[in-house]
Amino acid sequence: MIAKTDLRKEFELPALARWMLAVFGALATGGILLALVGANPIDAYIEMVQGTFGSMFDLSLVLTEMIPLVIIGLGLVIAFRARIWNIGAEGQFMFGALVGGAFALHVPIGSPFLAIPIVLVVGAASGALWGALVAVARVRWQVNEVISSLLLNYVALFIFAYAVRKPLRDPGGFQPTSERIPDQFVLADVPVDQIRVHIGIIFALLLVPLVSFLVNRSPFGLRATMFGMNPEAAQAAGVHTSRMTVRIMLLSGAFAGLAGIIQVMGSELRLSNNMSTGFGFTAIVVALISRLRPIGVVVAAALLGALTLGGDVIQRTQQVPRVLTMVIQAIFVLFLLLADRRKDR
Amino acid sequence: MTESATAPGSFSFVLSGSASDSPTAEQTDSVDAVSMVGICKSFGSLVALHGADFQLRRGEIHALLGENGAGKSTLMNILYGLEERDQGEVRIDGVPVSFSTPQDAVVKGLGMVHQHFKLVPRLTVIENVLLGDRRSRGFRLPDLAVAAKELEELADSYGLPISATDQVSGLSVGEQQRVEILRSLYFGAKTLILDEPTASLTPLEVNQLLDKLRGLADTGTSIIIITHHLDEVMESADRVTVLRSGLNVRTTAAAETNQVELAKLMVGRDVGILTQKNAIRGEPLGEFFEQDNSPVLRLYEVAASSHSPLEAAAGDAKRGLFDVNLEVRSGEIVAIAGVEGNGQNELEDVLSGFLQVEQGEFSIDEKDCRTYLPSELLKLGLGYIPSDRYRRGLIGDLSVAANVSYDRISEYPIGTRFKVNSKEMMRRGGQAVEEFSIAVGDAGDLAGTLSGGNAQRVVIARALAKELRLLVAAQPTRGLDVGAIEFIWGLLDKQRSQGLATLLITTDLDEVMALADRVYVMYRGRLTEVPADRDLIGLAMGGSISEVGHSIDA
Repeated sequence: MIAKTDLRKEFELPALARWMLAVFGALATGGILLALVGANPIDAYIEMVQGTFGSMFDLSLVLTEMIPLVIIGLGLVIAFRARIWNIGAEGQFMFGALVGGAFALHVPIGSPFLAIPIVLVVGAASGALWGALVAVARVRWQVNEVISSLLLNYVALFIFAYAVRKPLRDPGGFQPTSERIPDQFVLADVPVDQIRVHIGIIFALLLVPLVSFLVNRSPFGLRATMFGMNPEAAQAAGVHTSRMTVRIMLLSGAFAGLAGIIQVMGSELRLSNNMSTGFGFTAIVVALISRLRPIGVVVAAALLGALTLGGDVIQRTQQVPRVLTMVIQAIFVLFLLLADRRKDR
Repeated sequence: MTESATAPGSFSFVLSGSASDSPTAEQTDSVDAVSMVGICKSFGSLVALHGADFQLRRGEIHALLGENGAGKSTLMNILYGLEERDQGEVRIDGVPVSFSTPQDAVVKGLGMVHQHFKLVPRLTVIENVLLGDRRSRGFRLPDLAVAAKELEELADSYGLPISATDQVSGLSVGEQQRVEILRSLYFGAKTLILDEPTASLTPLEVNQLLDKLRGLADTGTSIIIITHHLDEVMESADRVTVLRSGLNVRTTAAAETNQVELAKLMVGRDVGILTQKNAIRGEPLGEFFEQDNSPVLRLYEVAASSHSPLEAAAGDAKRGLFDVNLEVRSGEIVAIAGVEGNGQNELEDVLSGFLQVEQGEFSIDEKDCRTYLPSELLKLGLGYIPSDRYRRGLIGDLSVAANVSYDRISEYPIGTRFKVNSKEMMRRGGQAVEEFSIAVGDAGDLAGTLSGGNAQRVVIARALAKELRLLVAAQPTRGLDVGAIEFIWGLLDKQRSQGLATLLITTDLDEVMALADRVYVMYRGRLTEVPADRDLIGLAMGGSISEVGHSIDA
């Protein structure tokens, strides 16, 4: 009602046809590549689907993969609505994981009911802090946020790498990783038979309506949208530019940091260099495919999660090189974005 | 219509041909420089033109009049190859043509001078002229000296002398326009289309321009002027075509009509303001001065500049405000007149919080506002109608209703800190649509679809929806049609009589004369208070401040 867009028109028949065409185009192009490396494309696709949605266990893997993508993606939706291009979610994710993880390793809190919320807050706050650096640089020194957030990714990654090599390293371990976090900090699995997903998925899904309300119905969300659509008009209407930039980056960073610490507490259980497979970058694609709508984030995260795991499956069964599965994933994303393009006015 | 034969002047041959309101194609085709018949054009569901006709005779000045959205620009864009028509016929010198790009039109002897000039300031006149020349593409540069001489000779022959090797940045607006006109002539234009040619000129420059155009027409160039200044039409045009809602309502000789009739034809009903200028202006209300004598807005020795370091390095002249002193009290409208680009933008930006004051004092209700941002000024009761309504006044991708209320979304009852009440917002949007006669299907439609006049009504509806202490209205009626101007002037006058302090920044002398209690003229960043006299203001706008001073003494 407030930000009336042309969403309804987009889902009329021509749009539907366009989407189907895009999926077909992606399948065809990917198929040619698969055939070129000697795999049977039809078999490969069937295995991709079976390997991701074929059993409860496979589905659990997809859901687990979705958790960080959904949470980071929601934070990016907030930022991108305001046209603040936060490319630094990967760094915010890692920083949240690092500080939250270090806290869990070294601060003794006995009860899980206390331990878990506190560490979640610490992780989110650390991600927010990392995001705020970007905002401060933009507000104070007019540093473009794309550049600063991108570069801060590497800073965070190297701090993380140093931490798990030196101060946080598990002395008994061979790999440079931390010790396992104490049990009271570990997120339990959801109490559903056959599904093996930790309760991070519930946090992620609960955040969806929350963010939906924030961006669509709250004054803050509407101001952020106004700021994104026309910064000068928003300013003339009383939007405080620098305050808005800082708040958006704090929020966006907090979501990424939260995703990072949840990944530690639910999946990794320790800090390790390769705990992120580029979630912060994939989430950018998730946010873009979602057309900046929170519900769309869930759909896009499911799609990308499935593509990633499906790629793993055919790598194992069809001897398709890992790089090629990544290429196929990218082809799907490109075709979807093509189908989704809006006419420039 | 029969008295046309007795009309004075040397254009009687023109007038005798215009006895009929709509000359048929057969009668005139052989002589018409341009003939457009039955032109239709729609953009989606919007029908811009449905069967408009337009005939331009050789060597005449033909004014194309109409409200915003009447289809003037669309018609001319079709003629110039910027838009393609859906239906209808276009003939140049009797030959049917179909242009798909302006280059096609240029080849056929058409030239268009846009309202906003497209010159590169750091290049010379001749370089600018040659920029658009297809012949000079490729690696070989044309011989500038030869071309410059050619251009100067051409300019002299038309009585539009110019120095072809001057840098454009040093030229006045009027001279820049002359360059644009010469560029068209240089490429062989026999028909000129001028879009709002007087919009940014001083009254003196306007007179000069109209003189020169008359000279051009006398040498056989045909000229179309798109305008809504009725007095200029009466002064300069041989014939007038009035468009309304995509149809031509009348083509007539200028000598056979008058401003009142033209205004009526444009709007489709009687219009009050033009017949009784200044009648709208009530006396300043004495009671407000007695009750509260302290100024609402006060600027003292203010200096500010929007001069970027890059521009400074390039050695461009410093732009901005110098020693600006200004006070606006309750119940008065103070007008800042002046030609565009003399510091009005900087003044507007300072008052709306977009530009920081460098020196001097700036206060609203005795509160120091020097470091205030727009959000803080709004809280002091500032209402702001920005001159660039699309960039600063509207968010096109939001609904009309959201645009009416978006500066108050967390104020009850439109919203709370946590939630926007979109129902209330829609209700108020609907109310504003009705109260301000905004032509839109539904308050939920996107504001980006509104035409200029309606967009401005939304901006004003929002600005006036609050309790205000001070209203800064910058170019509130620029580019609007007579009906919308009348409406907005009425609103501003009503606010004044209710005690609002208003600062009106405008380039429109009519607006100054109709509304202002006190007048300042802005010239090169400085303000001079001038008596509300048309001629004196005109002189001061051109920088002849000493002459004004002289006249005041006398």
